[in-house]
Parts: sequence; C-alpha cells; structure tokens
Amino acid sequence: MGNVPAKAEQDEEYANQTRSRRRTISNANSFASSGTARTRSKRTTSLVDSVLNNTNSARSRGNSTSENPYRRRSPKEREAFKEKRAQDLVVRFNETVDGGYLSPFGCYTLDKLDYDIDIVKTLIIERKLAPFYIPLQDFNQTWSDDEIVKIVDGLPLHSSNNVEIPDELEDLSIGDLSNPNFDYLIDKKLSKKDQSRQRSKIFKARLYQKRIIWQETENEVFLEKKLEEQLNKYLPNDALKLNLYKNGTECPICFLYFPKPMNYSKCCQQPICTECFVQIKRSAPHFPHDENVEDVDDVDKDPNLLISEPSNCPYCATPDFAVIYNQPNDRKVGINGILPSQYTLDNKVSTDTVTEPFVITSDFIRPDWKIKLNKDRLKLQRRSANATAIHLSNQLVDPSHNSATNTRTELEDRLVEEAIKLSLEEDNAKSENK
Amino acid sequence: MHNNPQETERLISDPVPGITAEPHDDNLRYFKVSIEGPEQSPYEKGIFQLELYLPDDYPMEAPKVRFLTKIYHPNIDRLGRICLDILKTNWSPALQIRTVLLSVQALLASPNPNDPLANDVAEDWIKNEEGAKNTAREWTLLYAKKE
Repeated sequence: MGNVPAKAEQDEEYANQTRSRRRTISNANSFASSGTARTRSKRTTSLVDSVLNNTNSARSRGNSTSENPYRRRSPKEREAFKEKRAQDLVVRFNETVDGGYLSPFGCYTLDKLDYDIDIVKTLIIERKLAPFYIPLQDFNQTWSDDEIVKIVDGLPLHSSNNVEIPDELEDLSIGDLSNPNFDYLIDKKLSKKDQSRQRSKIFKARLYQKRIIWQETENEVFLEKKLEEQLNKYLPNDALKLNLYKNGTECPICFLYFPKPMNYSKCCQQPICTECFVQIKRSAPHFPHDENVEDVDDVDKDPNLLISEPSNCPYCATPDFAVIYNQPNDRKVGINGILPSQYTLDNKVSTDTVTEPFVITSDFIRPDWKIKLNKDRLKLQRRSANATAIHLSNQLVDPSHNSATNTRTELEDRLVEEAIKLSLEEDNAKSENK
Repeated sequence: MHNNPQETERLISDPVPGITAEPHDDNLRYFKVSIEGPEQSPYEKGIFQLELYLPDDYPMEAPKVRFLTKIYHPNIDRLGRICLDILKTNWSPALQIRTVLLSVQALLASPNPNDPLANDVAEDWIKNEEGAKNTAREWTLLYAKKE
C-alpha cells in the first residue's frame, strides 16, 4: 500500500479538529453585515439553532469516535446514523458560500455520498474547497445578461434526476413517515434474518421518501423567497448571478457548467467540480489483482493481504489524487462574507496574506478509510475462522476421522489456537487504530 | 450519475471517424455501437457491432462494452467480452465513451496475446501468428459484414 502513516494521522487530526471547530462555524454562520437586525433575528435564530443542533450531534459523534470504532452498531443506531447523514446532505439555500452551497446538487445518488460531511462543509466554509454550485447543463456565449439572469433564476436547489424510487423499493409499503417507529410493517411470520432484511429495505424506502420531502420543502421555500417582491438577503442579486455564471467553465468529468474558480488537481492543474471530487476515492478493499488466484475462495486467503490503493488523478493517473482551491478574489459572500443580496462588483477580497495552498486528498475527506479496511479484514478473518471451526467440529463429530485416540484433544487444541489467533488479530487492529 | 445529455449530444454531433454510437430510444444509457476494423489489420473492411451500457455510477465506474459481432481476437472472448485495462482497474472518470471506443478500435489494430481473455485464440496467435490472422480475416469476412 502506498500510504504514509504520518499523513493518515495528520488527516485524522484534522477530522477531530473539524468536529470541535463545528462550534466556531455555528458562530460564524451569522453573516458579517448587520442592519435590519430585528426582521432577521427570527431567521438567524432558526439558522443558528439548526447549526447548533448539528454542533451538538457533531460533538456527541466526536465523543463516539473516541469509543471503539469496531463496535457493532445495532440496526437502530445504524438507521439513526444514515438518517442524520441524509438530513445533513439536504441543500439549504441559506447555507451559502460565495454563491454555492454546502451540499451537492445531486448528480450522484445519495448512497454514493460517503465522504465525511462535517469535514467537507468546514473546508467549503473556510474557502479551502469550492462550494457545491448549481450547475448549468450548457452555456451559450451569445446569451445576454438578461437571459443569464433568467436562466439562473430558474435553477432548482437540487437535481430532480435522482429522486425516482429505485425499482426494488417501489412496491414497498412504507407506512406513516411521521411515526419513527415502523415495526408494525414487518412481517413477524418471517425468519429473523428475513425480518431484518425486510426492515432494512423498508428503512431504505422510507429514507428515500423522507429525503425527497426534506429537499422539496427546502426547494419550495427557495422558490417562494425568489418570488417575494423584496429580495431575500440570502439570495444572490443579479450582479452576483452574472459574476458567477457569466465566466464559468465546464467540469471535464461531468460535462456540466460551473461558476469559476474550480478546484484544480495538484499534479496536472486540471479543473474538477466539488461534486465530482467527492466521488473520487481509494479502491474498495480487494486482493492484489496480479495474483492469479481467482479460483481460491476469499475465505482461504490471508486477510492481511487485503489492500486498498489511494485514488489516482483521473486526468494524469498520478497516485494520491489531491486538489487545491484558490478562493475567488472578487466575491466573498454568504457564510463569513457579506450578504449575497448586497453583493457589488467591488467586493474585493483582501489578498495581503498569501497563504500556502491547502492540499486536499480523497483520504482527507474520508478519515475513516483505514477503519473500513480493517473492518473488512476482520470480517474475512471471522469468516475464515468460522470455516475452520465448522471444518474441525465436523471432524470431531464424524467418528470415521477419530482414528487416533488423541485426535480429539489435538483438534480441540487447534480450535483454541484458532480462537486465540482471532482475538489477537482483532486486538492488534484496535491498537493499530489508536 | 444521471446520464449527461451533453456527452451523448457531442458524440453524435462530432463523431469519431469509423465509429458510431447511438443511444437507444427507450434507454439513454444503452448505446448501439459500430466500429470499423482498422486498416492493415485482419479486421480491415469489417464493421463490428457492439453494445455499450453506462452503469448508474458512470463516470465513476467504467461503461460496460461487449462485441455483438463474432470476432477472432486474443483479448475478446466468445461472449464478446473485452479484456482492456481501462474498462477495469485503469478506468478513470475523465475517460469518456469516445475514448473507450477509440481504445477498443486500437485493440483491434494491436492485439495483445500475452494478456489474453480467449486463451485458445491467444495460444494460436503466439504459436502461429500468420495462421491466426488468417482466421481473423476469414471471420471478419464471414461475420463483420456491412449491414
């Protein structure tokens, strides 16, 4: 594996810092400019509340990271975790940074979004990663300013392409979504295994539906605000819309048109939108390809050989893909900036402090990659230990194998050895993680 | 990823010489592809039909490509499956349908019997290259006819 441990530790450290920094963000989340404080106070409170809620859960999650990450979570815990993630991925129109947002537009499906949400949001707010912009399908150089403004006004907060319910979930009865308990939907006549299978399917379908409702609700508010006579302070004015979309560029991966500046690959300076960047990750744990041992069952392979290579640059294949982002110098709006509705062309960002570029790798936004790899190794170890145990106990039961008198004790010894080996390995994995 | 109409549109408006790719009417992820056999290869003058499918995760995952026309080639098996690195481990999201099809065409121009998918063909190719090429020519005449 081409991974430098020191780097991983550094990334983990950032991840932990991010969690505590969430609190700072919540304070910074109120916009810099003041005025009309009274009318705004209500909104700000709700915004701050929502961010504070995030902070609380981030804090509690921060605590939970100090506990054993290998602990098996109950189905309910896992469900709560997934639901929280889906909620955090809703695009909110008032959580805006330089004309973009903190969550993706939705070119890729929800279950493909496995990055650390807190880290990415923090990076965007700190202007170290381009925000998630709403893309245009196409851009025509001949469009007039009026046309551009009209087109931008028609953009939704989130793509509607990925909201169709997948076929396998379509005919499922999902019950009352406002009731968090859906045990009554589960067929108790099924075997335990089938019940839990049914449960996870129904949960998935419910979450799918809930997510659509959450995003739709946000979209509706966004639309309503757009139609209001007085420009909502979180919405961009025409000058900002033009600044964003008039001189945009295309992401070479998704072919969509985005405001500039984009993130750039560190190795070959090619642009990439944030939505595509967060999709790029190291390979899923697998056995080395070059070994011609495909007929061998995975159970019979050494789990420690399981590897996961860091991602390569999609453009030039340089290992350890990383991006750099230089924040725009003619607009600092939204969180930690001026109100998007008050943007003027002379909103220059002071560039007296030349900061070193902040390099972000795919591992950086997924600090748990190593835990995932270890979990896969452990799973395989458990499977192979089970296979050995079954094999050995078969030998114990089958008297035809009992040729020698001391076989039984020998086998028992081997079983114990196997068990010790397994707990040792599990222990090692844990301490390695610490 | 939702199939981006932009890529399809450009594929049609700015086609690669010798290659056509048209999306299916009912399923925009499914493409009917034809590739002309490269000149000076045993596949010259043949028109090969292929199917290309964009999985849900495209472009993070490689498109699935398969020959429909029978072909005698060490890196293409009886089912039309293609052994090409960029379709597997070396896939990059910056590659496109266009580059994939160009690579398939290049594979026809330079077969690689040392990394075979069809073992019997590869063996034939290594032992008796001229004979294998003749078989490939025969198959091209027989199966890869213009429609």
